[in-house]
Amino acid sequence: MTKVVILDSDEEIRARVVGPTGAEHRRLANKVMEEALKQANLPFDEISYVIATGYGRINVPFADRQITELTCHARGVVSLFPNVRIAIDIGGQDAKGLKIRNGKLIDFVMNDRCAAGTGRFLEVIAAALGLKLEELGEISLKSTNKVKISSTCTIFAQQEVVSRISVGTPLEDIVAGLHDAIASRVVKMVRRLKIEPDVVFTGGVAKNVGVVYAMKENLGCEVFVPEEPLLSGAIGAAILGKELTLEALAKGETIQKKERLLEEVTFFG
Amino acid sequence: MDWFMGIDIGSGTSKGVIIKDGKLKAYHLLPSEANYRAVAQKLSEELLAKLGLSPQDITSTTATGYGAGSVPFSNQQVADIRCCARGINSLFPSVRTVIDVQEMSSQVIRLDEKGQVTNFVVSEKCAAGSGRFLKIIANVLRIDLNDIGPLSLKSNNPITFTTGCAVFGESEAISRVSEGISKEDILAGVHKALANKLSALIGRVGLEEKCAISGGGGLNVGLIKSVEEKLGVQLLVPPQPQLVTALGAAIMAQEKERLVASI
Repeated sequence: MTKVVILDSDEEIRARVVGPTGAEHRRLANKVMEEALKQANLPFDEISYVIATGYGRINVPFADRQITELTCHARGVVSLFPNVRIAIDIGGQDAKGLKIRNGKLIDFVMNDRCAAGTGRFLEVIAAALGLKLEELGEISLKSTNKVKISSTCTIFAQQEVVSRISVGTPLEDIVAGLHDAIASRVVKMVRRLKIEPDVVFTGGVAKNVGVVYAMKENLGCEVFVPEEPLLSGAIGAAILGKELTLEALAKGETIQKKERLLEEVTFFG
Repeated sequence: MDWFMGIDIGSGTSKGVIIKDGKLKAYHLLPSEANYRAVAQKLSEELLAKLGLSPQDITSTTATGYGAGSVPFSNQQVADIRCCARGINSLFPSVRTVIDVQEMSSQVIRLDEKGQVTNFVVSEKCAAGSGRFLKIIANVLRIDLNDIGPLSLKSNNPITFTTGCAVFGESEAISRVSEGISKEDILAGVHKALANKLSALIGRVGLEEKCAISGGGGLNVGLIKSVEEKLGVQLLVPPQPQLVTALGAAIMAQEKERLVASI
């Protein structure tokens, strides 16, 4: 997904837009930006600084600067939860654990090599079960006897789940088992950072209440989820943009900006 | 009464053989699907019909494979690793390492001159380490599994899969197709990716020549070439690589009977 956040100088959110990225959409950062400007009711010239982050941060031609998603993400989470010490982000393609001390990112772990333990795991299996991703959380809450998913691999787990269905295992127990599988896998990875509260959970998967519940169970502590779990990276990027601008102002420097033009990326050919 | 049966209920395909005096007399293959018991029964019926035998003519039956417990008429169950080693030894007595590539797992087995297992390692956690990865990519490209090997040999520029995950690999293959990369190059890439996984597996038990390949993976010339290139050895390929484990199972049924008779 591509997310845009526009912040004002008081760090109040003036616009938030979430649009698909996808193969065809990756050249369309301008469209999402246009929508955000409309929402904030601002001309593009009014935007002091634009920071792009995430996997596709180089695909944003109008960005004044690119900053890695880890840095932006940490900054965003700290602004939302100042006492955060561990931030866990599970997206559609990867899962990350961030160790934060005094508002600074000091270490991280990441899995982007295996679909198990990322949102993709749930996407693939929900599709096999004919369920929408948004339905999973609610379904799992009805479970009284969650199953243990023995396969690690998404492909094998999908097969295991289908055979569970065929022997009549209740759907909610299977879905609760899937949530536990993804949570336990991610928590195991994040334990390498030595987990200490407060723990914040973000990313698209944090919108699934079943996984949030399973994360609490696996971590053995409270888990804080932002109101908009998808936006923390974009919020962090905007805050860093504001800070860079103020810093330059304080030093009396002029900050380098791109032309405020909303055009499609052309370098994909 | 010197007929022996081996039934190998695999994760993808089930195989049955009947031997006499250690020689293969009949074989049959069926997709395993969900009901292993029914598949085992059907295999037995087909095998017996091919030779005009009745169940009473079979002295002993060994069941092996993923669904070995679902063969009610078997006299014993033996682990597929042992059957595979015994089977390859009967075909290639000089082989000391077998790479067995199945639908849902891969294993590397080290064996001695008698066909006894001396060491082994199994990869069953990850679809990218098994034949399933090839199936997934063949499916994306809409190419029959039997054709992917020969087709991949035409590639000049195999793609590199970046993650080592079959799910992410599937998406990567779709992206490459949309970028206009040829099917040959994508297929050569997936064979290379699986060969890399197999090579890592071999690294854990060591490679001792001669080396053979068995299982469904042994039917795929593209995979064989990639593994040979990666390991720098030539693989011995049985005429029917999928039958090796079932053959070994039947041989073990026969050997057990001889052992009992000699006491």
